Amino acid sequence: MKSRMKRLAALLLAGTMIFSMAACGGKSDPADKATSDTSSNTSDNASNNASGDTSGDAKVTEAAKEPVTIKIAWWGSDKRHEYTQKLLDLYTELNPNVKFEASPSGWDGYFERLSTQAASGSMPDIVQMDYLYISTYAKNNSLADLQEFIDSGVLDVSNVDENILNTGSIGSKRTGIPLSTSILAVTYNPAAIEAAGATVPADNWTWEDYIELNTKVAQKTGEPSALNSIIGPFGDSNFFNYWVRQHGGMLFKEDGTGLGFEDDAITAEYFQMWKDMSDANVSPDPDEQSQLAAVGKEALPIVNDKAATTIEWNNFTSIVSGANDKLKLALMPSSFEGNGLWLKPGMFFSVSESSKVKEECAKFISWFINSEEANDIIAGERGTPVSSAIRDYMMKSGTMTEQQVEMFGYVDKAAAVAGKTPAPDPSGIAEVNEAFANAGNSVLYGQATAQEAAATFRKQATEILERNNAAK
Amino acid sequence: MAKSGYKRRDNIAGYIMLSPWLFGFILMWFLPMVISIYYSFTDFNLLNEAKIIGLKNYIRIFTADDTFRQAFKVTFIYAIFLVPLRLAFALCVAMLLNTKHMGLGLYRTIYYIPSIIGGSIAVSIVWRQIFGNQGVVMSLLSVFGIEQKLSLLGNTKTALAVIILMGVWQFGSSMLIFLAALKQIPNSLYESARVDGAKSLRIFFKITIPMLTPTIFFNLILQIVNGFRVFTESYVITDGGPLNSTLSYVLYLYRRAFNYFDMGYSCALAWVLVAVISVFTVILFKTQNNWVHYESGGDD
Repeated sequence: MKSRMKRLAALLLAGTMIFSMAACGGKSDPADKATSDTSSNTSDNASNNASGDTSGDAKVTEAAKEPVTIKIAWWGSDKRHEYTQKLLDLYTELNPNVKFEASPSGWDGYFERLSTQAASGSMPDIVQMDYLYISTYAKNNSLADLQEFIDSGVLDVSNVDENILNTGSIGSKRTGIPLSTSILAVTYNPAAIEAAGATVPADNWTWEDYIELNTKVAQKTGEPSALNSIIGPFGDSNFFNYWVRQHGGMLFKEDGTGLGFEDDAITAEYFQMWKDMSDANVSPDPDEQSQLAAVGKEALPIVNDKAATTIEWNNFTSIVSGANDKLKLALMPSSFEGNGLWLKPGMFFSVSESSKVKEECAKFISWFINSEEANDIIAGERGTPVSSAIRDYMMKSGTMTEQQVEMFGYVDKAAAVAGKTPAPDPSGIAEVNEAFANAGNSVLYGQATAQEAAATFRKQATEILERNNAAK
Repeated sequence: MAKSGYKRRDNIAGYIMLSPWLFGFILMWFLPMVISIYYSFTDFNLLNEAKIIGLKNYIRIFTADDTFRQAFKVTFIYAIFLVPLRLAFALCVAMLLNTKHMGLGLYRTIYYIPSIIGGSIAVSIVWRQIFGNQGVVMSLLSVFGIEQKLSLLGNTKTALAVIILMGVWQFGSSMLIFLAALKQIPNSLYESARVDGAKSLRIFFKITIPMLTPTIFFNLILQIVNGFRVFTESYVITDGGPLNSTLSYVLYLYRRAFNYFDMGYSCALAWVLVAVISVFTVILFKTQNNWVHYESGGDD
C-alpha cells in the first residue's frame, strides 16, 4: 500500500515536471521577442511620421542587432532547395542576427500544408506564393500588407516593372512581391528534330506547323513528341488560357465570377486538337501522361532526345540544364495572332499576417530581388528576375549559361507580342482545374465528344466560380 | 469504510493510468468530432471566420454534386468486391494454416505482414510500379502476347480492380481472427461427423462455416467499415484517376478540405459517411438472427 502510494506520487511528480518543463521551454524567448519587436515597430512608425528618415533608420539598425529567426517555406526541386539554403546561409553571414528555419518541399502537398498552418495561425513568416492561390490567402487576411515597408524604404522595388509588381496587390493590399516573371514557351529539342529530318520552329509558326513537326518526330521515334510539361494539356488552365486569349477571349472574368468567354467551340476545338494528336500517338494519352508525371521534369522524353517539344514556362531550360543543356525556346504557336501570351509573375514571396518579424522579412525579400550576390546564386532558376537592374547585371556579367541567355532573350521576344496580364486566378481555381482536367481527359478516353466535354466544363466551372466568388 | 477508501484510491490510480489514453481520446478524437459537426453547418474554408449556413452543405451534397455520387459509387463497388474476396481469402489461408505442419508459425507471420505494411505509402508506391506501364505485371502479360499498349492503372475499367486486389492482399488481420476461431471448434464435432461418413466438403459447410458465423459476422463489420474508409491506395497509386474512376470517398473528402479549402462541406461529407456506415452496420446486426449461430446462446 505504502509503496503503491510512493509510486503514484513519483508518477505524478514526473508528469508535472514534464509539463512544466515544456511550458518553460515554449515560453521564454518568443514572448520577449514579440514585445520588443512590436514596441520597436510602433516607435518606428511614430518617428517616421514625426521627424523623417534618420531616426527611423537608427531604430532599424538598432532592431537589427537583436537575434531574429525567420521561418521560410518554398516549393521546388532539389536544385532549388540546395541553392536556396546556400542563399539563406549567405544572408546569415551578412546579418549574423538573422537565422532561418527553412521548410522546403515539393509542389505536391505544399499548399495543403500551408492552408492547415494558416488555419492554426502557425504560417511561416515568409512563404513562397503562387498566382494560383494568392487571392485566396489575401482575401482571408492571412498575408501582410507590405506597402508600409516599401514606403519606408526597407523593401526596394524601384527596379520592378509596375505591372508585374501590381500582380501581387490584392484589393488595396500589397500581399506579395513577385520574384520573377515567366512566359509560356515551347521548349524544343534540336537534336530530336534534326534526327527526324524536320526543321526547328520559326517565330511565326502556327499550331498547324506545331502538329506537323511533332507528327514527324513522333513517327521517327515511335513515342509521343508533343508534350505539355509533366501535367499534360489539361493539367493546368494556364495552357488553355493561352488558347482562349489567342481566340480573343479570356479564361475568367475579371472578378472571377465566371468564365470570360462565351463560345464553347473554343474549348471543344482545344479538346479535339489534343484528342487527334493523342490518337495518332503524337502526344501522350492520359495513361502515358500519368507515367510522365511520376518520373518528373528531368526525365521527360524531351530531355532524353526522344521528343521534340514541350509547352512550359520559359524557365524550363534552366530547370533541366543539369540533365540536358541543348534545349531551346520558341514562341508559342500562333502567338502573333492576338495577344495570347502574357507576362506571369513566376512566384511571390509573401509575409504572413501572423508574423512577428515582418520588417526583417521585408528586408530579406528586398535583398533577394535586388542583391547581385544573391542573384549570382539564384541564377535565374526561379524564372527571369523581376529587377531590371539585376537583369542588366546578369546580361553584362558574362557568367550566364546558354540557357539563361536563351531565357532572357525569350522574354524580350515574347514581350513584344504579349498582351495584358490577367487578374490573379479566382478563388476555387483548384476545383476549376480539376473539372477542366476531367473534361479534357474524358475526351481523350472517348467517353465524351469534345462538344459535350466543353459544355460539361462550362457548367461545372460556372457553378464553382459562382459559389466561390459571388458577393460574399 | 476502510474498504471503500481503498476502492476510491484504486479508482483514482486507474484513472491516472488511463489518463494518457483519455487525454488523447478527448483531445484528438472526441473534440475534433464535435467541432466537425459544427463546421458541417458552416461555410468554413480554413482561413475565414466560419459562418453558419444551416443545412446548405448537406443539400448541396445530395442535389448538386456529381463528384460525390461518383466517389460514393467507387467506394461502394470497392467495398462490395473487397469484403467478400478478402474474407474468403483470409478463411482459405486460415484453413491451410490450421493444419499440423512444420514451420507454420513462420508462415503465419509471413501472411500477416501485408496487413501491417499494406496501408503504407511505400507499399502503395511499389504497387504502382508493379502495375504501371513498365511494371512487372505488364511485362509478364506481354510474354503471353497481351498487347503492350494495355494499361491496368491507366484504364478507367481496370484501375479500380488493381486497387481492390491490393486490398484483398491485406487479408492478414481477418486471417488471424479466423485462425483463432478455427482452433476453438471442438474436434469432437469433426470426429463424429467423420464417423458418420461425412465428406470434407460437407463437413466444411455443415460444421466449420456454422461454427464460424460469429467470427464471420465480426470480420464482416470490421471490413465493411475499413472498406468504406479506403484512402491511401487511391491517393498514392492513382490519385483518384483516371477520370475519377478510383476516387474513393475519403480521398474526395480530403480534396474538398485541403485542395479546395471547402472545409465545412467536407465535414458534412464526413458525417454522411458516418451515417452510411452506421446504416450498413445496423442492417447487418438486424440480419444477425437469421444466419449467425452462437454456440452458447439461446438459439435452440
